[in-house]
Amino acid sequence: MTDPEKYARADEDILKAMEKPGRAYLLGLGVTASLAVGGGLLWAYQIRNGLGVAGYTHPVNWAVYITNFVFWVGIAHSGTLISAVLYLFHARYRTSFNRPAEAMTVFALMVAGLFPLIHLGRSWVFYYLIPYPTERQLWVNFRSPLIWDVFAVGTYFTVSAVFFYVGMIPDLAIARRRREGIRKTIYAVLSLGWRGTGRQWRHYNMLYLFLASFATPLVASVHSVVSWDFAMSLLPGWHTTIFAPYFVAGAIFSGTAMVITLVVPMRKTFNLYRYITDDHFESIAKILLLTSLIVSYAYVIEFGLAWYSGNIFETELFRYRALGHYKVFFWIMVACNSIIPLTLFAMRLRRNIPYLLIVSLLVNVGMWLERFVIIVSSLSRDYDPYAWNALIYRPTYVEVGITLGAFGMFFMLYLLFVKTLPLLSISEIKEHL
Amino acid sequence: MIFDGKEEFVEALRRLVGEGVPPERIRVLTPFPLPEVDRILPRKRSNVRFFALIGAGTGTITGFALTILTTLSWPLIVGGKPIVSIPPFIIIAFALTILFGSLSTFLGFLLLSRLPSIRNIRSKEEYGNRFVILVEEGPTR
Repeated sequence: MTDPEKYARADEDILKAMEKPGRAYLLGLGVTASLAVGGGLLWAYQIRNGLGVAGYTHPVNWAVYITNFVFWVGIAHSGTLISAVLYLFHARYRTSFNRPAEAMTVFALMVAGLFPLIHLGRSWVFYYLIPYPTERQLWVNFRSPLIWDVFAVGTYFTVSAVFFYVGMIPDLAIARRRREGIRKTIYAVLSLGWRGTGRQWRHYNMLYLFLASFATPLVASVHSVVSWDFAMSLLPGWHTTIFAPYFVAGAIFSGTAMVITLVVPMRKTFNLYRYITDDHFESIAKILLLTSLIVSYAYVIEFGLAWYSGNIFETELFRYRALGHYKVFFWIMVACNSIIPLTLFAMRLRRNIPYLLIVSLLVNVGMWLERFVIIVSSLSRDYDPYAWNALIYRPTYVEVGITLGAFGMFFMLYLLFVKTLPLLSISEIKEHL
Repeated sequence: MIFDGKEEFVEALRRLVGEGVPPERIRVLTPFPLPEVDRILPRKRSNVRFFALIGAGTGTITGFALTILTTLSWPLIVGGKPIVSIPPFIIIAFALTILFGSLSTFLGFLLLSRLPSIRNIRSKEEYGNRFVILVEEGPTR
């Protein structure tokens, strides 16, 4: 097959995904959209009746919503790792994953950004967090980790969205060429009239290099800042210096699992076996394995630190975490995040795609529970022993429903993405053909 | 000149420059970036990088100015920390460095590559996956 035929086939294969959707797709879209709407209705119910409908019980005043916030910000990280860090390292397998991973980053951040607002209760006063000159004459408290979060996550979302869009410009020009009517106009406008002249490519490559360089430190910084929401407090189990690297590794771990969860069905549905090979999945599985080992190491170190500190509250908290009210979640987390991924040391299993999908789903569960365990067990074992067993926090149906709604919203956005935008980066694939 | 294959295109471009056509008069359109083009038609490096530098610098300064000046405008001690607490302010300055740097690089790219271009959005002319060389009229060297 000659090069021009290969180029044409790449256009054809990848843009075919944007054709009229099948029944399974519509069903998926219907289910995810209903979940999202259901979550929205429950949020409305909570706004009407107040935060009391969530299961918050003193001292557990951060729970499922903050778990979701940390989880979704974490999911975003692996997208940036794949698109920016692997670009700087010239890892070839990045080309197969970068577009879905970048889309995942943007959508995960959209979902994550909602949770601080949901958790606020009086969601409409969220603008107190934004620094602007007000009649109250008081500026935000820049020493507060919650304000750092606003800056870190806001920057992250903006930069990721720009990166996602910039990567797509040449591919939107391809979509423009191959579509008719109103769609052609839309893609033409979105592609900004890209022509692929020598000058454009020269500036484009420089822009891409710089965006990748700007996004790379964000992989480490954003989840560090999120971890400081916890580490800056004095609570046992939260107030530790390993939190930043621990959270960053966890973020990449969960995000990589989510990439696998999204890309395996996508490859099957749209028959992209030529562009996403088992070798590529094996490379991603290695990232999953490595980050799993780092996360497991952090779990062990946390217990070590508590024991070595000799602090009775630290020690009690970690005993409680493994053996207390939330022990089931703790042990599911250990099984999903530390034990099951170890099987990926076997090459046969790394290359077994259905198995990899199952592992990635379990890791998603495990990482969600990890955040829940960290947040809820620490809060329910603080410095006031009287409160320890007085009230046990249990998530209510509102919290569970809003969580399901968040998953629905995320997958709905992803499904809309695969039908409307070029789902792999076509010009990069051609470059490597 | 329009080519279907990469090799013929690169070959023709090399021949053209070898024949003494000044590189400034040659324009190429390609479906993906080719490192060979940069080698045959040496141009100075893209000025997008200066936008990155200026944007990032502005971001750092804005970050420190915003935090320091606003806290000084109402000096309220919170948590026993100094009014001007540099370590937390570094986080804000860092975030704004990256934010402003990225946005300014993107704007620089749009400016330098003349995008968005209304003419090209409306144009029906497409070369698709082909490699194109356009030579403007003028004297050869």
